Amino acid sequence: MLRVTLKGIRGHLVRFLLTALAVMLGVAFVAGTYILRDSMNGTLDDLLTSSVKGVDVDVRGVSTNTETDQGTVRKPVQLALADQLAKVDGVADARPDLQGSAMLVGKDGLIVRNGGAPTLGLVFRANDPSFTVIAGAGPSGPGEVVVEEATLKKSGLAVGDTTQAVFGGQVRPVRISGEVRFGSLFGATAILLDDATARSAFAPDGTVSGISLSAASGVTPDQLRTRVASVLPSGAEAVTAKTLEDETRKSVDQVFSVFTTFLLVFAGIALFVGGFIIVNTFSIVVAQRTRELALLRAVGASRSQVRTMVLAESFVIGLVGSGLGIALGLALAAGLKAVIKGFLGLDIAGGLPLGTQTVVTSVVVGVVVTVAAALMPAVRAARIPPVAAMRDDMVMPVSSIRRRGIIGSVIFVVGSVLLTYEVTRTEVGWGLAGLGFTMVIIGALVAAPLATRPVVRVINWPFQQFGGVVGRLAGQNALRIPRRTANTASALMIGLVLVAGLAVIASSTKASFAGLVEKQLTADYVLSAGRGGQVPAGLVTAAQGVSGVQSVATLSALSAKLDGHDVTIVATTGAGLSQNVRIDLVSGAIDAIDRGELLVDQSSAKANGWTVGSQATGTIGTLTDQRITIGGVYKDTQFLGSTVGGRALYEKALPAAQQRITYAFVKAAPGANTTGLETALKGLAKPYVVVSVETGAEFVNTATSSVDTLLGLLYVLLALSIIIAVIGIINTLALSVVERTREIGLLRAVGLRRRQLAGMITIESVSTALFGAVLGAALGIGLGAALQHGLRDDGLDVLSIPWGTIVFVLVASAVVGVIAAVLPAVRAVRLNILKAISTD
Amino acid sequence: MAAAEPADPDVVASAVELTKVYGSGEAVVTALDGVSVDFARGRLTAIMGPSGSGKSTLMHCMAALDRPTSGRIVIDGQDLGGLRDGALTALRRDRLGFVFQAYNLVPTLTARENITLPLDIAGKKVDQAWFDTVIDAVGLRERLSHRPSQLSGGQQQRAACARALVSRPSIVFADEPTGNLDSRASVGILQFLRTSVDEFGQSIVMVTHDPGAAAFADRVLFLADGSIVDELSSPSAEAVLERMKGFEVVGRRS
Repeated sequence: MLRVTLKGIRGHLVRFLLTALAVMLGVAFVAGTYILRDSMNGTLDDLLTSSVKGVDVDVRGVSTNTETDQGTVRKPVQLALADQLAKVDGVADARPDLQGSAMLVGKDGLIVRNGGAPTLGLVFRANDPSFTVIAGAGPSGPGEVVVEEATLKKSGLAVGDTTQAVFGGQVRPVRISGEVRFGSLFGATAILLDDATARSAFAPDGTVSGISLSAASGVTPDQLRTRVASVLPSGAEAVTAKTLEDETRKSVDQVFSVFTTFLLVFAGIALFVGGFIIVNTFSIVVAQRTRELALLRAVGASRSQVRTMVLAESFVIGLVGSGLGIALGLALAAGLKAVIKGFLGLDIAGGLPLGTQTVVTSVVVGVVVTVAAALMPAVRAARIPPVAAMRDDMVMPVSSIRRRGIIGSVIFVVGSVLLTYEVTRTEVGWGLAGLGFTMVIIGALVAAPLATRPVVRVINWPFQQFGGVVGRLAGQNALRIPRRTANTASALMIGLVLVAGLAVIASSTKASFAGLVEKQLTADYVLSAGRGGQVPAGLVTAAQGVSGVQSVATLSALSAKLDGHDVTIVATTGAGLSQNVRIDLVSGAIDAIDRGELLVDQSSAKANGWTVGSQATGTIGTLTDQRITIGGVYKDTQFLGSTVGGRALYEKALPAAQQRITYAFVKAAPGANTTGLETALKGLAKPYVVVSVETGAEFVNTATSSVDTLLGLLYVLLALSIIIAVIGIINTLALSVVERTREIGLLRAVGLRRRQLAGMITIESVSTALFGAVLGAALGIGLGAALQHGLRDDGLDVLSIPWGTIVFVLVASAVVGVIAAVLPAVRAVRLNILKAISTD
Repeated sequence: MAAAEPADPDVVASAVELTKVYGSGEAVVTALDGVSVDFARGRLTAIMGPSGSGKSTLMHCMAALDRPTSGRIVIDGQDLGGLRDGALTALRRDRLGFVFQAYNLVPTLTARENITLPLDIAGKKVDQAWFDTVIDAVGLRERLSHRPSQLSGGQQQRAACARALVSRPSIVFADEPTGNLDSRASVGILQFLRTSVDEFGQSIVMVTHDPGAAAFADRVLFLADGSIVDELSSPSAEAVLERMKGFEVVGRRS
């Protein structure tokens, strides 16, 4: 039987290669993801090793039990503690972690930056083991900096050049005195200051986040930790470097696993789509080989032997596809690295390690998906009666599409009802909504053959009307086996559900955000520093002095835990708030925040039972066990979030090095010359380079452009699924051409021109592609709208359907159909008429 | 030169020194070996011969479905030599009709659509009166909206015959038109072909190995080993059978 299997594959080599291609693309995604993960882990190891090099014990503040997206908030440590610890017996060296944000202005006058990667400001210590000096010397004063190798390269500057740097909230002229090399910074830029400058820039209030200790010879890290712990003041703790490394690894691993899972979701989609292609190919191949398989049965092969033979074919194809997929995965991982570097500035070194786990997982996934997809066709093949070998007509027993249609429709309707019910409730049950979501997609996939006839008829209408006999023939060809057309189109449909759904969500996000800002923001100008950046305090002070400026309000974010809930407090001033933001106060007064009280929104007031005058308890920033008064309640608004606090509270709650101004709102005085004002503000911001001065509308544009970037990234990831779908259409069409050889021969014999024949196949292909696209887009819009409705209270209050994008996607699908038709059409056109007619 | 020759109005198609060689080297097979023949206008000509005698090859070459290795073919005054694929396609579409052994109807089209297919492909209007005449002659009026799968073999072949005639071709080539049919259905088809010749003046060339079918022809050509070895005019089935016996022994090849 093995020989028959291999012969079978060789006999249908091209179509099996196309199938293997579908497997390959899906597996490539899986392999690429794992390769990338291993590569990131390798880089991480380097990073961790170099970051704790020379550190034996780390002294830091205790956790305040407040979580932010950057991790646990810890109490600050006094800078002076370092001198104290240096005297402890066994401590060879105590180095405060002088670290903050610092940016270098490059040769082009712009801030040197890698996408969203951090811009680190560090301290230069001659004996620091985490870096090595490769050129020049350390900084001799506030006017000199040392720059990390990659940062310097990117800046276009060289050691000895003078430029500007932004640190401690000020732009300063600096000379580059040297160049250093770190193990790996994951794409972050770094400049190093001398000790005194670093102290004033990164610890202006005399606190730092931690102190690194090296042990004297003969003292183990554990011994040192015990000794140090006994002298520490309350609010500080000592951990060994090992513990620190483990903690860091754990938190980074979490980020990685989110990232890996994210990629694997897309890999899963690609494999799912690929599965459809495999099912289809095997179904058609089995149908075409009915007589051959029946002959095997007639000469004594058992049902299970026939079944095993088909499955064995799929096994071989899965194996071949997986092998090719791993190879492609290496290329894909390299590509993903470039994408990550481009989008996020994350520079992943560490080559492309191909681990055993990667290979095993990829092969297992590829083979299992292929064999599982071939299962149904294999079972059907085994049902072919031996007598079919004698028959002339090769009709496969086809189970009714009506039953499949009904089952699918039921799943679809139940899913829709469930989804609609859940997303229209006040408290959306996301578990059930997700189930409804899945049921809608599965139901649509199962019921698709039932929709083939009506939908394809509509799509074909123009071809039927204006395409003459070619159009009519093509339209009917697409309807010939609705199940096959639907299966082929399904692959594209899944891709388009996601594309259209994401487009709706992205568009709604932008519209909602724009609406939000327009309704809520009354400021005339917004100063902001982009993703992860901060507006320098010096600029804010300067802006206040510009003539025509009524007020400048700063906005900062502060993490807190109040009555057991993690919240983000937006910190500003009462005057700043009332002048720049529209806020509907239900009770209390806005200026309560200037008295150290909090404003909360109605939802959290209700949830916590707060009214004006209530006391909330918890941690605010680095301050633990706080009691704070609720000074006012406002109507829920996404713009401000749930809690607003005062500037003074913010400054008290965070050490100076951690304080950041996210936005500064500028309100012009009534009747002020706005053009002059804008010019003046831009002039002030210019030296800071990274800070932009925008009107409210411009601010919305900038803020929502990141949505487009993210959408672009998601589309890139979905592109692979679309490619697989195209392969599916090519495969099905090619097989249909083979199946209809005699008919094509006849059409040519009675005078169909080659061009007409190619046109017929192209129209059929376009019909199939558009069928999948229309269904997918409709479903995507529906699901996107449902998701938006469910999120209406979480900021997505405007539904916006991007019709331009949808139309573009449909047109693109038609183009995809044309492309997919090329190979099959060429093949059909090349058929020898005489052979085609007499073939059977 | 072909253009210099005065076209004989009684000849619809002719072959001059037609040779067709398949394969090369050891495996070379000469299917047609210098065949010259004229097919008369308004006549039913049958080509007979044992398997491998070259009768199908002769017809395929005459019908512009295959190119001869050498020699000349003239259809309705048009020399086929040097015509490109596009021109040959147009020639088949406009001047030739086909009936195949395996009916070869398009399964997705109704009987009516199948019959008018050549006209539709050419983008020509259907001559309704002629269409009705042909339909009544094949007796398919009641079944025009049926698909091939809903028709019997005989009905399918009659639809195929109607398709061959409806575009008023100069000549119809029928390749074993009764090969897949039972004897009653066969007679129906042959009578229709006969009627087309007698009443509509259609020229038909039919390849068959059934002496009974050949008996419907005005003239029977006998092929063996790629050459025309004999012919009969207005034969009876018995006469054809008698003549066949002489070639059976030499003809075995394949």
